[in-house]
Amino acid sequence: MRKVLIVARHEYLVNVRRVGFIAMTALVPLLGAAGLLIAAFFGGQAAAFFARTFAPEAQDLGVVDHLGAFTPLLPDYQDRFSLFSDEEAGRAALQTDEIASLLVVREDYVESGHVAVITKEGGFNVAIMEDSDTMRAFFVDHLLRDEVDPALRERLADPFEPVLVSLEGEGEPEGGPLSIILNLLVPYFLGTLLIMTIFVSSGYLLQGVAKEKTSRVMEIILSSVTAQELLAGKVLGLGALGLTQMTIWLLSSVVLSGGAVGLLGIAIPLLARPEVLVLGLVYYLLGFLVYAVLMGAVGALGTTQQESQQLAGIFSIMAAIPLMLSGFMFANPNMTLVRVLSWFPLTAPTMMLLRLPMAEVPIIDIVGSIAVLIISIPIILWAGSKVFRMGLLMYGKRPSLRQVMKALREA
Amino acid sequence: MRPNGRRTMARPVLETRNLVKRYDGVTAVDDLSFKVYEGEIFGLLGPNGAGKTTAIRTIMDILKPDEGTIQVLGRPPGMARERIGYLPEERGLYRDLKVLDVLVYLAELKGTPRPVAHQRALTWLDRVELSDWARRKVRDLSQGMQQKLQFVASLVHDPELLILDEPFQGLDPINVDLVRTLMRELQRDGKTMMLSSHQMNLVEVLCDRILLIDDGKAVLYGPLDEIKRRHSPDAVRLRTSATLDALPGVARIEQRDDTFTLTLEGITPQDLLRTLVEQGIPVEAFEVATAPLEDIFIAVVKERNDA
Repeated sequence: MRKVLIVARHEYLVNVRRVGFIAMTALVPLLGAAGLLIAAFFGGQAAAFFARTFAPEAQDLGVVDHLGAFTPLLPDYQDRFSLFSDEEAGRAALQTDEIASLLVVREDYVESGHVAVITKEGGFNVAIMEDSDTMRAFFVDHLLRDEVDPALRERLADPFEPVLVSLEGEGEPEGGPLSIILNLLVPYFLGTLLIMTIFVSSGYLLQGVAKEKTSRVMEIILSSVTAQELLAGKVLGLGALGLTQMTIWLLSSVVLSGGAVGLLGIAIPLLARPEVLVLGLVYYLLGFLVYAVLMGAVGALGTTQQESQQLAGIFSIMAAIPLMLSGFMFANPNMTLVRVLSWFPLTAPTMMLLRLPMAEVPIIDIVGSIAVLIISIPIILWAGSKVFRMGLLMYGKRPSLRQVMKALREA
Repeated sequence: MRPNGRRTMARPVLETRNLVKRYDGVTAVDDLSFKVYEGEIFGLLGPNGAGKTTAIRTIMDILKPDEGTIQVLGRPPGMARERIGYLPEERGLYRDLKVLDVLVYLAELKGTPRPVAHQRALTWLDRVELSDWARRKVRDLSQGMQQKLQFVASLVHDPELLILDEPFQGLDPINVDLVRTLMRELQRDGKTMMLSSHQMNLVEVLCDRILLIDDGKAVLYGPLDEIKRRHSPDAVRLRTSATLDALPGVARIEQRDDTFTLTLEGITPQDLLRTLVEQGIPVEAFEVATAPLEDIFIAVVKERNDA
């Protein structure tokens, strides 16, 4: 065990200094920061642009009152609205840009609701004006000014202010409709991120083994530790590396989003179903173990790093199958194919990581897949280290499938 | 130093009995039995492909033997890893790591505590004049420096038994000399060494005892001086200013400059020396001619194949 830890420590320290690792670890927070900057920059500009273009509040409006309900204007509106005695005077003001639009309220307004909007440039503002809270208030306030008290007038202008209260969580209000989306998306992205770290870390393992093999340092190592100790140490060290990366990513997302949003976004959906969080971690660990051991063994088989990576591709595709299926899974998270893949040790970790947040997974699938994984990991480690040991000592040529089988039998 | 007297008393550090290893129907190691005694330098010699590396790998527990038993430091292979130093034939180091870090890591894997490993690594780097390179990456070292470092890497954990597979492979003459000197120093410190080589001329000055193998089988086994005596022609090399005529018991005389090679028949070198003294022939140099190990090997293999 001491030697396993020495190998683990060595692997961790060597890989944590790798340019690739540092770049990959820094990339996610940097992309996040860049995204925030872009959003802040363009967000501000866009708001100003939209305000200038679409918000009638920002512009002065003229009113020609054939109905008589708007004369005189209420004091609240006198800053931005001005009355014109007839259309001619209004058009003249429009021409000289005194006002941006001219509203002509006809005698039949109460029956038809028609208001002519005259603008200099065209009718683009009409739709916006119709939705505008200010316009609504302007009309409601003037039409009802003598009949209804101000509080009711305000309610009529803005009758619906939704406050969501959920029966779940003992009536405590949740974070609004957004949290429903977050409930689904955050674990999904978290799952994808976890899968990524599995592949990044086991990719390092593959590279490391291939490198030790091509640099011929392996035989010296194997004269000091057993293949099992070496493989276990590497898996442990690189697992710690993956966790480091995840921690940095999570912390950076919290820092970047000013703490609150990030924490809420991650915490709410996870805390809403804590079993998803716990199971997610279990599958993450099991998945990492399966793939790290596999990649270690495969890394030992190739004669060059490129060859090892090609061989590893077969297993990467297997793990990616659940990701390809995720579209169907949204529709039917418990379809038969999904259930079958949940039981197969090479697809189970990714499959379950994706499946758990989407729906209530049958308990038999959870227990079964975890049991299969726990049983298969020592088998994979045992078989992997046999292949590992044989592959490491064969230089110049790749062992044939027959030799791999022989090594397994002789073990 | 020829510990001939010690040989019978010293305990065997390594012992194999009827070792057999086959690959895909080819018998790489065929019924090898030998012992390596404490404090000696033992040579496992033979041409390329004779089975030396396979034999060593079974001893190192990297390969499992098909038949036979192995005892290393009194235990089965793989049980005494920490007390053995190993320089494999296929060798290399972590090129991207610093020299000192590589040595410390390899020593730690052999069970040496980190601070001790650190100290020893520095001492050894000093001994092979690589101190200035301790903090540099392995890749920055010249070929010769890497070879020295590789040798140091196999013994930085202070092993009792050192197994060196082709230690002189690829070394330039200066480093061959350095490694030979280091090996003699290690022997003086009480270490046992087993080395393999196909370059017999490089090791015959070092080894106390040898096992010569061909096609996986033992050809010659025993103390080197005894083997050489046994297989040398009955000849004497003599330097003298006198001209030599026929001498009793001398079948043939060959002359090159002032050195004569006399082939003896029915007499010992002592008899010849007595005759020379009696006849008043001035003797400037007199030595019993021994054949180089390589010649002995070729002769024995040829003899065996003919038989």
